[in-house]
Order: sequence, then structure tokens, then C-alpha cells
Amino acid sequence: MSEVINIIVDGENYEAQEGSLLIDLLIKNKIKVPYFCYHESLGPDGNCRMCMVEIEGQKRPQIACDTFVKEGMEVRSNTQNIKSLRTDILELELINHPVDCPVCDQAGECSLQDFYMDYGLHNSKVTIQDKVKHDKAVDLGSNVMLDQERCVLCARCTRFTDKITGTHELGIIGRGDNAKVSTMPGRKLSNAYAMNVVDLCPVGALTSKDFRFSQRVWFLQTAESVCHGCAKGCNIYIDHNKPKYKDDVMYRFRPRRNDAVNGFFMCDEGRLSYKELQENRQERALLNGEDISQEEAIQKAKETIKKFYGNICIILDANLYTQEIEAIIKFAKTIGTNVCSPQEIYQDEDFKDDMLKSANRAANSKTIEKLHVYTGKPRSDGLIINFNHPGEFSAQSQINFFTHKRNNAGLTLPTATWNESSGTLTNEDGIEQKCEQAIHKNNPVPTVIEYLQRLQS
Amino acid sequence: MSIKVTKRHGHSFRDKLYLPAIYDGVKVTFKHLFHNVTNINEVDTLRYPEEQPTDITSRWRGLHRLTHRADDSVACVACFMCATACPSNCIFIEATEREDGHDEKMPASFFIDTLECVFCGYCVEACPCDAIRMDTGIFSLTGNKREDFVMDKEQLLSHKGAYGEEISCARD
Repeated sequence: MSEVINIIVDGENYEAQEGSLLIDLLIKNKIKVPYFCYHESLGPDGNCRMCMVEIEGQKRPQIACDTFVKEGMEVRSNTQNIKSLRTDILELELINHPVDCPVCDQAGECSLQDFYMDYGLHNSKVTIQDKVKHDKAVDLGSNVMLDQERCVLCARCTRFTDKITGTHELGIIGRGDNAKVSTMPGRKLSNAYAMNVVDLCPVGALTSKDFRFSQRVWFLQTAESVCHGCAKGCNIYIDHNKPKYKDDVMYRFRPRRNDAVNGFFMCDEGRLSYKELQENRQERALLNGEDISQEEAIQKAKETIKKFYGNICIILDANLYTQEIEAIIKFAKTIGTNVCSPQEIYQDEDFKDDMLKSANRAANSKTIEKLHVYTGKPRSDGLIINFNHPGEFSAQSQINFFTHKRNNAGLTLPTATWNESSGTLTNEDGIEQKCEQAIHKNNPVPTVIEYLQRLQS
Repeated sequence: MSIKVTKRHGHSFRDKLYLPAIYDGVKVTFKHLFHNVTNINEVDTLRYPEEQPTDITSRWRGLHRLTHRADDSVACVACFMCATACPSNCIFIEATEREDGHDEKMPASFFIDTLECVFCGYCVEACPCDAIRMDTGIFSLTGNKREDFVMDKEQLLSHKGAYGEEISCARD
């Protein structure tokens, strides 16, 4: 354990671990410090020079991102000198920046915009009108678009491919105002975590091809949730919006920091999984392929359950929330049957890697395990009640609670997806995590719990 | 707390009678009536719609239009600034990739619901591309159904400016 030392920032005392970085202390204590190149997952690089602070005893301002804290250190972060220094560095960054914020997807969540409002607001001393031209809208591969003109050369993206994925696709080539981010000739950005560079990029140089032009970020609302792509349970933000006269739509998933689970990142497959979540939804109740009303469907379900009493098997999806699984188990007892959740279908060894992806593609299989749910094949051929399990089963009669359209016989009831309800998940490491409800549809379909209440009433 | 009591006027017999006051009012009305009937050409009101107004200035906020660039392509880059500034949320834009060599982005669709519009002109103020203007001089809009009042991109592009400056000043 390293020693705790005391340092002074802007006249206030703070405690820090010896050997930690000064910028970490500033960020942790919410002391305003601008930076492009530093990132807590990538470490210091010291190239953007935005995080300059004055340190007592040092002749010139120092960068906070590459300075270790020392006992008794005295730091000043908001003097007039530092402010004008930051303005000057920003002015340098903006000399060749195209300032095409109207067409830039980053506008609204751009560090350059934020810092300009905080420290810039200057008139440029450069009188030359022609800016250095680079390539715009370069498709790097893996859904990443590069705009070399907007780049501030912070090297976060290149360090990500070097340090985190180890795939080394990106590099900075050229010198001076000719320097630009590029892939190696003939190579594309190609790794399973490539789209994280979009989040890492502090400006609009790297943007998502998937999100490109689909919505301005200031219209989006954000809900905190957990990715259902695999048992890892990466923490995410769901960015969604309900435009006027339209329905609530998800626009993107972004990773949410959780050092115990996913750190700062998530895989591309999980990130893009929002699309299939809202496509091809089951919206109407069906009886053998024919539309019927909700009330009729509930009535029919009640009758069928009564008819097959004693010969029923309930199958549940291991992606359901813990609360839903518990409610289903309770419901099963009232109709005198057991539940099962065949786990074999969730195993996908090809998906697994040694970063975040898990071979188990069910988000809540730990809860299935904890609650001792039988994980083999269903042991009854009378009535099968399927709570969105992806497998196909045959029985004399079926009641299906499906979120998405599928080919199936029997009675099908449309069910809310996980982003339309809230609950908790337990990931493969046993960490319990809460998911907020993100989507509020104009015509919401009932959740599993609402259905169970109706069936029991 | 004290209450301010204002003394009422009109305690005289003449005031209480009311009829002299009515006579005074009707006298003014009839004075104007006789004057207007005998000098019909000096009346200040306009015989609309036979007569059209001639005093609309270039600053007057009429129906919107979308401007063009020098090569006739649309000046708008679908930045959503107008939709963001709009207090009645009546501008509906969908953006798409631009293929004509200018910028990167353009509106795939652009609707203004003129029934919801309050003609405040904030969209014009917000536009960084001088792409939306309200200088068409069009002050009346008619239609048979509500949908007729939702202007689409083609309609907005077809409106001509009434006061010159046909081309966007901000985009080339």
C-alpha cells in the first residue's frame, strides 16, 4: 500500500496516494482541468498540453497529466497566467480546425467546443484564410469514420489500438500541419472493440458510421442500463429520443464506466445490438398466426392453463431480469409445475475472447444458477409456456411470451423487451447490476410481470 | 395591510343621467361615418383581397423558404439549429449523406408545419448557413385540408425571395 500524502490545490488541502498522477486527483475532486490526450484507461501522453498547471517551485507551468504528486506540493490551476496559456494552446489547435460544427456529429459532446466556451472565446491571431486540407469522411472500417481535418492529434485512438486491443491498426503519419491519423496502407481498422475509438476521440475526428447523421446529440435522453449481449454485463448508456408525433427510438449504446465489470469499453457487437432489439417486434397477440385481442388472448391462456393443469412446463429465457424470473417461479408453484431454462443454446465459444466477451450469451444465467432452475430440456409434452426462450420446443399446446416475431404455433403474447422495463441482472462474476427503463413506447406492450398479474387475477 | 380606496367620479346629476355621455360617443361615431362616406377614397383600411398590401418591407416575416447555392443545390446542411431554436417545435428534419460535393450533410426531408409555426423568425436567426429565410413576402396561405399547410422541402425550395438575394450568402 502506497503512502497517503497531502497536497494543496488552489489553496485547498487534498489527500492523494503517493505516486499517483496529479491529473487524476484534479479529475477525482472535480477541479476544472481541460485535456484532450489524457484518458484514465490509456494513461498520460503529454501531447496536447491543455492540462497545464502552475506548481510552486517550478519555473514554468507543468502538465498535470504527467506529473506525480509529491508531499507538500502546491498547485494553482486557475490563475490568469494558466487561463491565458490554455487560450493560446486552444488557438493553436483551432488554426486548421475546419469549424464545421453544423455537420459534425460530435457537436454537443465535443471537448473542443466545451473548452472554447471555457477558455477560448478569442479572436484568432492567424490571418491566413486558407486552412490546411486533409481527407474528410474516410471510412476506416469497423463502422468508424475519420475526418482528418477535425483531429487534434491527441493519439487516444492510436494508443487504444496499441495498448488495449494490441492490434496496432492506427498511427499518426506526417509531421507539422501535415500530421494525420491513418491506417497502415491497404489495412482497415478491424477489431472487435474498434468503435470504442469513437467514444475516446474528444473531438469529431472519429465518428460512428452507424450513428452518422441520425440524430443531434442534444436531443437524446440517456438511461443507465446493462448490455444483454453476454454474461459479462457491460454497463451502458442507452441514448434514445421520442421525436414529436413519433415513438421512442434508441439511437445508440455507449459504454458506461464500471471498473469492476467493463472498465471504459464494450464490444462492437454489444454496441450495435440495439438495432435488432427494436426491429421485427411482436406487437399483436396471435393465435395460430391469427390476430386476436389482448383480453381474448389472456382469457385463452387462462383456459389452456386450466385444461393442461398438471402437464405444464414453463421455459424461461436466461436474459430475463431477476425479478421476472422470481415472479415466474412463484407463478409456476400456483399452477403446480416447475420451470426450466435450457442453457445449452446460450453457449457460443466462438464469441469468447480474453477482453470482455463471454462464451455465455445469456445476461442473467447466474441467477438461473443461483435459484437452482433446472437447465435441461423440458420434461413435459402437454403445455409449454415459453417466456422468450430462444429455443424451439414442441408440445401439444404452447403459450409464448415473445418480444420479437418468430415462426411459432399456439398462442403468442407480445412482451416488453428489457429496455422497456427495469430490473436487475447478475453477471457471470456474481455482480448484481440495475437496469433502468429506457424506452417508453406510445403503445407499450405488457411486461412479463404484468402478464403474470393478469393471469393470476 | 391597508386597502387603498379610490373615490369614484361622476357624482353630478349630469353624470348619473348617462344620456349626455351616450350622446357624446354617438356624436364621434357619426362624425367619422359622415366623413368616410363623403370622402371614400381617403379611408385607411385596405379593400383586401381586391387590393393587396404594398408596404411589406424586406424585414417582414413571411412564409419560409430554403435558399440555394450558386450551383442550385440546397444550402441547408441539416444541422438542426432551426429545429433546436424553434419554440413551437414545428420543424421536422431528417439528415442524410450529401453526394453533390459540398459539405457532407443535407436534409433528406425538411418539413415546416405552418399551422404550428408562430412566425417568430428564430429559425432564420439560428441558421449558420443562411439556408432558411422568411423574406418571401407571402403573408397568406390557403388550403383545403390541414396537410396542405405542412411545407415540404420541395415547396420550401420553390419559394422565391421577394427582395433579391436569391442565393445563400453563407454557402458557396
